[in-house]
Amino acid sequence: MDNAITDVKGVKVAHLTIEKDLPSPAGRAAAIRTGLTAVIPYPMEKALRLFCANLCLKGNAEMTGYEVLDDFCYLNSPVVITNSFNVGQAYDAVLSYGFAQNRDEVWPPVIIGLNDSYLNEMTKFSFDEKEILQALFNAKDGKVEQGSVGVGVGLRAFDWKGGIGTSSRRLLIGGQELTCGVLAASNHGNSDFAEGSLSLVMATDVPLFPHQIRQVLRAVLAGLGPAQVKTNPAESVSGIFFSTANAMSMATERPFVFDYLMIDDSWLERISAACSEAVLESIRNSLTKATAVSGRQGRTVKPMPEDVQSKVLRI
Amino acid sequence: MSHLEKYFDFFIAKPYNWENHADAELSVLSTEKNMERRDFIRNSLLSFSLLPGTNLIGEILQQSEKRVAASGGKRRRLRELGIRIGSLEPGPYNAITDVEGIRVGQTTIIKGQGRGAVRTGVTVILPHADNIYEENLFASCFIQNGWGEMTGIAALENTGLLKTPVFLSGTYNVGIVLSAATKYLCEMNPEMGDKAEMAHPVVAECFDDFLSDTKSRQITEADVVKAIESARSGAVAEGAVGGGTGMTSFGFKGGIGTSSRRTKNHNTVGVLVMANTAGRNQLRIDGVPVGKEIVGFGEKAGKTKSIILLAATDAPLLPFQLRKIGKRVAMGLAQTGAISSTGSGDIILAFSTANRIPRARQTDFHSLKGVNDLSITPLYEATVEATQEAILNALCMAETTVGRDGNTSYGLPVDQVEEIMKKHGRIGAKIHG
Repeated sequence: MDNAITDVKGVKVAHLTIEKDLPSPAGRAAAIRTGLTAVIPYPMEKALRLFCANLCLKGNAEMTGYEVLDDFCYLNSPVVITNSFNVGQAYDAVLSYGFAQNRDEVWPPVIIGLNDSYLNEMTKFSFDEKEILQALFNAKDGKVEQGSVGVGVGLRAFDWKGGIGTSSRRLLIGGQELTCGVLAASNHGNSDFAEGSLSLVMATDVPLFPHQIRQVLRAVLAGLGPAQVKTNPAESVSGIFFSTANAMSMATERPFVFDYLMIDDSWLERISAACSEAVLESIRNSLTKATAVSGRQGRTVKPMPEDVQSKVLRI
Repeated sequence: MSHLEKYFDFFIAKPYNWENHADAELSVLSTEKNMERRDFIRNSLLSFSLLPGTNLIGEILQQSEKRVAASGGKRRRLRELGIRIGSLEPGPYNAITDVEGIRVGQTTIIKGQGRGAVRTGVTVILPHADNIYEENLFASCFIQNGWGEMTGIAALENTGLLKTPVFLSGTYNVGIVLSAATKYLCEMNPEMGDKAEMAHPVVAECFDDFLSDTKSRQITEADVVKAIESARSGAVAEGAVGGGTGMTSFGFKGGIGTSSRRTKNHNTVGVLVMANTAGRNQLRIDGVPVGKEIVGFGEKAGKTKSIILLAATDAPLLPFQLRKIGKRVAMGLAQTGAISSTGSGDIILAFSTANRIPRARQTDFHSLKGVNDLSITPLYEATVEATQEAILNALCMAETTVGRDGNTSYGLPVDQVEEIMKKHGRIGAKIHG
């Protein structure tokens, strides 16, 4: 397969990369180095919702849709990672994306915000809704672009170039081949910047129930050592993990009762291990696939050299 | 016999000849450290002596007898007073046992008088008719206010599964009850903890020290086993019984209470509470501030602390949905006027009997049912109504209890409640159920 989150059947990824220099009357041009990366959890024209759980481990990160994710435990929207100041625009664009498909159930939009102000002039609110919609409608399965792409263009991790990374693992359960996939946006571990964060989008076709997803998420977090997340109180890990196995109709109050499949708890250990591996490899990919980017205030961030990789990433 | 017990005996229970004892008793009482009781007698004397031409002592005795008659008289459930909460109908027993398979067992422990008196016990809820360890149920906990104990919920919240019976008792009894429950489970399931996974019994508590010498921990493992073995379906004893024996609530005698509701979809929600929370002025019945209008019976009945609330349903709810049921239980609690004060451990457990999940490693995938979130609201309605009525049933059914150091907790004067509710136009035709 593609060793990507898209290995989970039905999952698509969209990138919108924005790199431009806005002329500024007072001297230096404003460097826009940002974008958006979206994970579409299932064909959105179907009015379905998926079991999920979210995580926001410490830190000062934004995740919209938090209340529904936390209380109702279902996902009904693309998961979009973008820069913190563009969260509102992305939120609005996802609503338009739903309405354009005659669905008002693409609610609440799940938007995760990252601070990419080291390379990007965040205050310029540089998004155009048409571009976002175009990107969402052009979401693809198969191979996923990684590194300095989408929201990854402006990201920085461990003082080197961060970005987007993805990976997947397969599991054989009861004769069925099932998959766990991860997409990571690395923007953490910088020595001179406190508000870093690591964002994870995790998908699986294993029939996990929300309480089981939470258990797996906890195990995955426990597997993230200091190399992955710096112990700064403002550094955050935020993310969402959804299962495509039990898709519920969103449209009506009927049926009163749904039929579900649930994995036996005895498999959670294996699933957690698979997810942990995929998370660590996604973070690694986000660094190794990243290319140098020059941006705001003439700063340049280079990819992490190989000798540093082996030191920082104990993978 | 302590002077407090003597005081109670002549003043409340069996009228002494006041003239012979009054001076002596009052002098003792005036040096008594128990402010509540001293305040009570002082207030009583003051209020009666203000009336012109009053036979002070006669009045006091008469009032006392009235109080005993009203509070210690025949207890009636809320519905028997003609009060209906909400609009849904209860199940046949108006109890948690209306959810099929649920059984309730209780051991009541009453020992001694005065100093060292014990008024405690244990209530056990068997969640279904078979071996709960072999076939688990979905469950979730909602901690409305965390100043309390419910063991086993760390695992329960992780796994979403209830794997043991649920036990309710006094605060310091938790260790003994937990130990007894663990032993019982091990005996029933010899493989547990060895070849098969462990199960962590759910034991919850309220602090019953006003009426019981709770530190002496006079519950035994045999008492717990007795409660399990006495568990049955059908009507549930309420009030000062089982774990509720020593509990006080809303300034009156509290304890065990239960109620149920049926939805249009023929699902049942049953609630059972162990009530030991809230003050008298807070008490509301169907929105009427009854607590403020009740006359007599002393203001205090011990500092109140904690309420444990269990909600059960036969609707197929998943753990995250049961957590939301738990939140509605908290709303039912709020409707009785309780405010979850900082020292009140208000802990809620909700479980569904619909999906039975065999303990791990029996199969790879489980085929299960789950209620559509969009049509779950009637179950919330049932939960709020049943919770409110369960708490009020605990008050209505609990008899006046004299416990440790002669501390007295009066039963809610149901006759007065009836009058107050009539005054507010809330009681129409009598409904018995």
